Amino acid sequence: MQYLLESFGRAVSLIAQCDAELATIVWFSLKISLISTLVAAVIGIPAGFAIYLNKFRFRRALITVLNSLLALPTVVIALFVYGFISRRGMFGSFDLLYTQSAIIIGQTILVVPMITIFVISALGHLDIRYRKTAMTLGADRWQTSLLLMHEAKFGIAAAIAAAFGRVISEIGVGMMLGGNIKGFTRTMTTAMALEYDKGEFVLAVALGLILMAITLGINIFINYFQGNINERYN
Amino acid sequence: MLYKLDNVKRIHGGKAIVDIAQLNVEPGKIYALTGPNGAGKTTLLQMLAFLDAPDAGTVTFMGNQVLYSEKQLQPLRRRVIMVDQQPILFSMSVYRNVEFPLKLRGLSEAARKTAVEEALKNVDMLSFADVMGSHLSGGEIQRVALARALVCQPEVLLLDEPTSNIDKNHQPIIENMIRSASKNDKISVVFSTHSMQLVEQLADHCLSMEAGKIR
Repeated sequence: MQYLLESFGRAVSLIAQCDAELATIVWFSLKISLISTLVAAVIGIPAGFAIYLNKFRFRRALITVLNSLLALPTVVIALFVYGFISRRGMFGSFDLLYTQSAIIIGQTILVVPMITIFVISALGHLDIRYRKTAMTLGADRWQTSLLLMHEAKFGIAAAIAAAFGRVISEIGVGMMLGGNIKGFTRTMTTAMALEYDKGEFVLAVALGLILMAITLGINIFINYFQGNINERYN
Repeated sequence: MLYKLDNVKRIHGGKAIVDIAQLNVEPGKIYALTGPNGAGKTTLLQMLAFLDAPDAGTVTFMGNQVLYSEKQLQPLRRRVIMVDQQPILFSMSVYRNVEFPLKLRGLSEAARKTAVEEALKNVDMLSFADVMGSHLSGGEIQRVALARALVCQPEVLLLDEPTSNIDKNHQPIIENMIRSASKNDKISVVFSTHSMQLVEQLADHCLSMEAGKIR
């Protein structure tokens, strides 16, 4: 207990001093996670709209597959991407393995299904009259989509926040595709795993505290939007 | 002829909820659609608004057969507007709600402002212009929805029980608006109602529906 308290105290002091190594790791984590989430949102939001607005064969099957992908372990995605970007893989010549780009690719694949499913769900919760009213007022498909995006903005924002929470706290992709290289691909979670292996708790605890603060912030953000959604539907 | 329906059927759960052998709707007139709940009035209005497609039969609009392809439907929907029994306003101010269809049609900001203010004045809702749609009562929503429909001067106005949420004091406003839309703006109107008084006051023709059929 004494050891833990001591580590905790030193971790707080490390955060207070804005330790250079700690700051670099946090900055890389935030940068990589933000880019992954942004790319996934650019793919996932239109995909969610396309699946929701169009009736096509195997639509239900596609939604089932996307739902299943939500539960896929990060190491499986990392392994799959590794197969493509390792030297012997299809995209081996691009030298992507153990780069920040590799982590971004893996994390994007991880959360695209999540954002897509959450967007479909957010649109599904909207009153059908929004769509019909937009159509009868003369909106084309694009204009109807924009209106629905406006009406489902809280749900979509919550989807993006949840996706960010997922990528910033994952470790499998970061470790297997990034390689945990100091000052280059070391993220908060991979650094914590390394410090644990070394038996050094201080940096790990400091990173853990920051990660918890970020997760808490995301949850407050999601709850705020969730509250707005509930207020609207009640 | 405005609409011509031949052997139109809409099936739901194996049952024909609309089953019309023939129906002709003339332009520039006010038609009332009466009948008990579940008679198929709303479904028929949705088909006339091109929001729902029949499972069988043909619908002709102004001499052209409606093929229900998205490419054909979208321009048609700009000529026909339907207001629901319980209309919904978008999550924006009353002004922005009424402005919405005008923006879709690419009107200038000045033209939109004049038209929106005029439309809100007609339904006695101009003082609510900056209020969010979600803060209005059912009757106020219905009045704003009617203003939003009429602001873009459609050729056909379809109203599903237009006075059902309106208190007695404001019913004459709605009735006058429907009458004015028909007489002054030459808008064809089809409305469903349970009120025979409204039928007598407004309608040129009355169509009575029961079990999906027009009697």
